[in-house]
Amino acid sequence: MTDRRAATTTAVSPCGDAAVRVAVEGEDTDQVWTVVHRLAGWLNHGGIHPTVTAVPTYDAVLVEFDPYYTTGEEIASHLRAWGATAGTQGAAGGRVVDVPVLFGGEAGPDLEWVAEVTGHPVPKVVDLVCAGEPLIRCLGGPAASAMLDGPDFGLPIPRLATPRLRVPPGAVSVAGRQTVVGPVAAPSGWRQIGRTPLEILRTDTETVVPYRPGDRMRFLPVDESTYAELLGTPMRYRHDD
Amino acid sequence: MTDRPALHIDSATLCVVTDLGRVAGPARGLAVNGALDQFAARAANALVGNAPTDPLIETTGSGITLRPSDDVLLSVTGAPAEPAVDGRAYPAWAPLSVRAGETVRVGVSDAGLRAYVAVHGSFDVPRLMGSCAPDSMIGFGTRVEAGSALALRRPHPPLVNGRFGATVFDFGLPRDVGRVSSALDVIDGPDAAEFGPGLQRLYDSPYTVTPRINHVGMRVAGPVPRRSVTGEVLSRGVPVGAIEAPTGDELLVLMRGRGITAGYPVLAVVTSRALDHAAQLRPGQTVRFRRTTATAATAAHLERRHLLDRVALRARTAFAALARPHPSRPSRT
Repeated sequence: MTDRRAATTTAVSPCGDAAVRVAVEGEDTDQVWTVVHRLAGWLNHGGIHPTVTAVPTYDAVLVEFDPYYTTGEEIASHLRAWGATAGTQGAAGGRVVDVPVLFGGEAGPDLEWVAEVTGHPVPKVVDLVCAGEPLIRCLGGPAASAMLDGPDFGLPIPRLATPRLRVPPGAVSVAGRQTVVGPVAAPSGWRQIGRTPLEILRTDTETVVPYRPGDRMRFLPVDESTYAELLGTPMRYRHDD
Repeated sequence: MTDRPALHIDSATLCVVTDLGRVAGPARGLAVNGALDQFAARAANALVGNAPTDPLIETTGSGITLRPSDDVLLSVTGAPAEPAVDGRAYPAWAPLSVRAGETVRVGVSDAGLRAYVAVHGSFDVPRLMGSCAPDSMIGFGTRVEAGSALALRRPHPPLVNGRFGATVFDFGLPRDVGRVSSALDVIDGPDAAEFGPGLQRLYDSPYTVTPRINHVGMRVAGPVPRRSVTGEVLSRGVPVGAIEAPTGDELLVLMRGRGITAGYPVLAVVTSRALDHAAQLRPGQTVRFRRTTATAATAAHLERRHLLDRVALRARTAFAALARPHPSRPSRT
């Protein structure tokens, strides 16, 4: 099926009896991402059934459901109808989160390695990470990690051959052409270049993390004393009081 | 608050309060979590007249000993040994009236791994996004440990059959309802084609359940199909039940606590019905993967859920009838 306005196509493949994967294809990766998140937004607001949930990423939406209420085939036919009548509203988000980061040392054990691989001096690597306001493309595992675009190092960053068993909460890591900010301690094969002192995850809030796909992050380098001062401060949007 | 009805925990190993899962979680980046044997959890609540999503106890491997402060109605399902009340055995998969101060011992039989205990009225426990299901990744959940107590929403007067001196109900659950199958039905995954003819190994080979099993994933050892294409996979949402071949000579079956995205191709996906079986497998057991279709899997799922619907209806009807004032309520001696 083709959504003429978006110039993207979607393909639905079964993922067991309780999920389907909707893959969106198109020339323009931004447009693909927009369609993915718009589609997920519609599904998560009960577009088909209140028990249907959607996990949007870059070029695909995982749609999970209880086969007691609906089936993959029914969902596929709903999605064909959605493709034809898609609204113009963009993905949610659009706000900015300022993220102070202590780079290198224990907080970023892979910073120098990344500098070596990319051929940039360490300060240049930090500059590249802190340039611009990269988009949060999606929330990933584990625990609503923020998956961001870039930075543009000029080449993709290889992952660790053997993942670390534990990176701390607040780790800022890069791999491929992406950056990830992890709210909790977890195993990871990404290259950890820094760490934010902010408290990202709060189970006393309904959304658990303060950001959503479509928001942006601004990384700000801080020294050890500022890091210590800010340790445990809740992460929030730039203009939140 | 000392007067509030409570369920005192005398002993417990690997026990949590859970429910059917955090359905709103995946859209916000969190795993769904919740009872790994969804059928047993639903059945436990249905048998005591609770809502399907009410909190209940999940015990893994060892079991739990409980002592209610008030009269309660509870049920034990999953892979339990026969529950014992003050040393006397009663059937599992049935409502069980327990008097204030009596000791209930719930064991887990060798035929499975997880048992569920539901109490009529359920517990008051903290929730996140509407669910009490523990999430070990974010440190949320209610652990059930020796010496702790769970606040009961309400007690339940004894339901005792005067003739038999015990709670006797038949809500239509078949006798073999808790039987665990080590043949797991799976459906070819969205990335099955990447494995070419090698995918057939998944269906031809026996696998051994390793000790590395928890609510996040189950690792099974055996011949691993290899991808015939190379290249990194972009992170995508992965369903509960996804079978991945990350490295080495083990397959990883994702359970309800899995991270919601991954960059590994999905060979096949375990069906909803078979995931309940997978939740009951113990380390060292041999499993096989059996190819099925979404249509057949949905039919199997519906059959089980319709069975639960009938149990829930019969239980509610029976308890409503018994709750009416009765001139001479018999008592157990």
